[in-house]
Amino acid sequence: MAVVVAAFDVQVPEARQVAAKPGERRQFLTCPIVRDTKTQPCWLAEYEGQLYYLGQQSGVAGDFYPPQLGHQALVEGTVGEGRVCGGIPLQTVKVSVMRELTPACSTMLPAEDGIEAPPPVVTPRGQAPSWVKAADPANVTLYFDFDNEFLSVHVTSALTAVARHAADVKASRVEVVGYRAATRLSGGQTLTERPDMGGIRARKVAGVLTGLGVPAAAISVSAPDAAERADGVNDPWNRRVVVRVR
Amino acid sequence: MRARVLTLCLVAVASVVTFLEAQSDPTGASAQPHTSWVAPGSGGVLPRELVFANGLGRLGVLNMDGPIETKGHPFFEAVGANGRACVTCHQPANAMSVSVETIRERWRATNGKDPIFAAIDGSNNPSLPQERAGSHSLLLDRGLFRVAMPWPPAGVTPEFGIEIVRDPTGVNRDAVYGLGSVRPTVSVFRRPRPAANLKYVTSPDGLFNVKLGVLMDKDPDTGLPSSMNIMADARVPNLRIQAQSAYRDHQGGTAPLSPAQVERILGFENQVYVAQVWDVQGGSLIEPDGPAALGPANVARNAVHVLNSAKTPAFHFFDTWQPAPASDAKAAFRASVARGNDVFVNRRFWVKDVAHINSIGLANPAKRSCAVCHNAQMSGMDLAPGWVDLGTTNYPTWTEPKVWDEASDLPVFKLTCKADAPPHPFLGRVIYTSDPGRALVTGHCADIGAITMGQFRGLAARAPYFSNGSAKDIRELVDYYDRRFDMRLTGQEKQDLINFLGVL
Repeated sequence: MAVVVAAFDVQVPEARQVAAKPGERRQFLTCPIVRDTKTQPCWLAEYEGQLYYLGQQSGVAGDFYPPQLGHQALVEGTVGEGRVCGGIPLQTVKVSVMRELTPACSTMLPAEDGIEAPPPVVTPRGQAPSWVKAADPANVTLYFDFDNEFLSVHVTSALTAVARHAADVKASRVEVVGYRAATRLSGGQTLTERPDMGGIRARKVAGVLTGLGVPAAAISVSAPDAAERADGVNDPWNRRVVVRVR
Repeated sequence: MRARVLTLCLVAVASVVTFLEAQSDPTGASAQPHTSWVAPGSGGVLPRELVFANGLGRLGVLNMDGPIETKGHPFFEAVGANGRACVTCHQPANAMSVSVETIRERWRATNGKDPIFAAIDGSNNPSLPQERAGSHSLLLDRGLFRVAMPWPPAGVTPEFGIEIVRDPTGVNRDAVYGLGSVRPTVSVFRRPRPAANLKYVTSPDGLFNVKLGVLMDKDPDTGLPSSMNIMADARVPNLRIQAQSAYRDHQGGTAPLSPAQVERILGFENQVYVAQVWDVQGGSLIEPDGPAALGPANVARNAVHVLNSAKTPAFHFFDTWQPAPASDAKAAFRASVARGNDVFVNRRFWVKDVAHINSIGLANPAKRSCAVCHNAQMSGMDLAPGWVDLGTTNYPTWTEPKVWDEASDLPVFKLTCKADAPPHPFLGRVIYTSDPGRALVTGHCADIGAITMGQFRGLAARAPYFSNGSAKDIRELVDYYDRRFDMRLTGQEKQDLINFLGVL
């Protein structure tokens, strides 16, 4: 017997369903699903018979960057309570778009009565989003999607503040350390980022700082060869660049 | 004698047309629209205000600095080696671009001798017999000029290799001009962009390109960020470099333009505004209480870099044109324009597989309206750097199936991305394209087919549309979007959009 998770083609055998308890960690690779609503589309993902809510369409200033059909997504988050847009919410969710094409990832669900997107999430002005730790411009940590070095508007904003701070204090040295990492999936497998991903991130950040006026001679760039070990919990926070202004 | 005639004609037009201050109907039936070709070196004064006829009505051209003496002016004089001037491809009557209708008329009038048909780029292939119209088919049929891009780009290690799949013009396999020549070159074919309303085109977005998370290119003259919106492939950072490169590549110039010449060219370009002022169905577009988006005077006075929003729609509001009494044809047309504006701003559809839109954190697909991407108030461009792969040049969404079945003069290239390079986000690692767009500058797979959005002004005066001239009229342009994104526009919605775009 199949249990209808959503009203359409997301059907999973009952035997494969694994209960999701609030607070549990979920890390999985999957095809994302987009559901239309009367307001903003919702993004969902299915794992072990459960449909999870990832977030809703917003803008580049939002904290949640939705996935892309045509690509698998690495989903990392903590199970929340209740249902949002038909799915169990994942909190502090990080969604990484895998860069190779997967044409089979193409599920679009039409709008359904009774299933609505939550109200739009507004990022308060001036508040650092989840994936940038930038309260102190002398010590900033930037977090990245898996196998990705894209600098979001929050990251570029933080780097602008770093460059300004470096100029203000006439910094003699700016250290940029890039890390790559592994992720342990809930099913037990481990995904490891490409070699030199930490270096790619660090060099990109250093290039931006140089472009913002930090003397190249003052910037040191390094990246450990080894990937940060996966523990299945803190993995998204291991894919990072740390910038320290001395 | 010709110069004197032009002068008299232009002055005569100016004497009866003063649309700037929105008189009762100065652009209507009593106005005598000017339709003549402005030839390089013909001399004469370009008045402050001009009106030119086109198929949908009349275009207004506004010189904010007052009348322009064209004699001796480097925009209007053939300062290069092939008889062309800037004005050759940037005609006032064609909204400072050039239409296929005008190009065909020049062929008829000069038997193909006009400098606009210069072999170097006004021809499918400089090696072909130039006296034959067929050697200029891309210009005559689509308004396309050859753009010769060095390959690989200087200082770039490309992420992909290029193979020629089809070369109907022969230029990409040509021994002198082709990819295998001493100076390897990829030839693509593109429309010239309007040299008007440029404050909207050159307005920078900020330090960062929010789409790519990288710093914007800097304008080397000011040290400030460039808009990166000037060219189809964003290859020049400012108008000075654009003028110099156009002089070199399109006019056969050898020594660079002098600083004084550049200053005069930019001085002219930065003060000229174009927009439709009269519509055959809707009448005057610039009445005192009319929509704030219409007419060149409104284009000239609007602030730059205003983002489309509920309070500041891309083309303001058309409230005064809606609703319409059913019996009044003019009012009915105006109501249609107003509905077209609503469709443009508010009607959402699934925007899908557009590189640099759906790949930048906005989701793929994203349920958005036209104005989310065409978000710059008054121009309809993108405030951020606007090169996106809409799909017009890449298989399978390119503009016409015949590109593939050998009934087209457009080339087809096969681009194969290296295994360690990031692929094109929605087409993968093997891409067939008739124009790689921005990728010919950056060498990035993700940029294949990415073309900078053009402004929406004076569309009625400068068909055809898209960078490859594939939409011969506004209906075909709208039809492409409808197909591309499965918008399912009703017949009424299409007509409303067409009417709306035609009055801009």
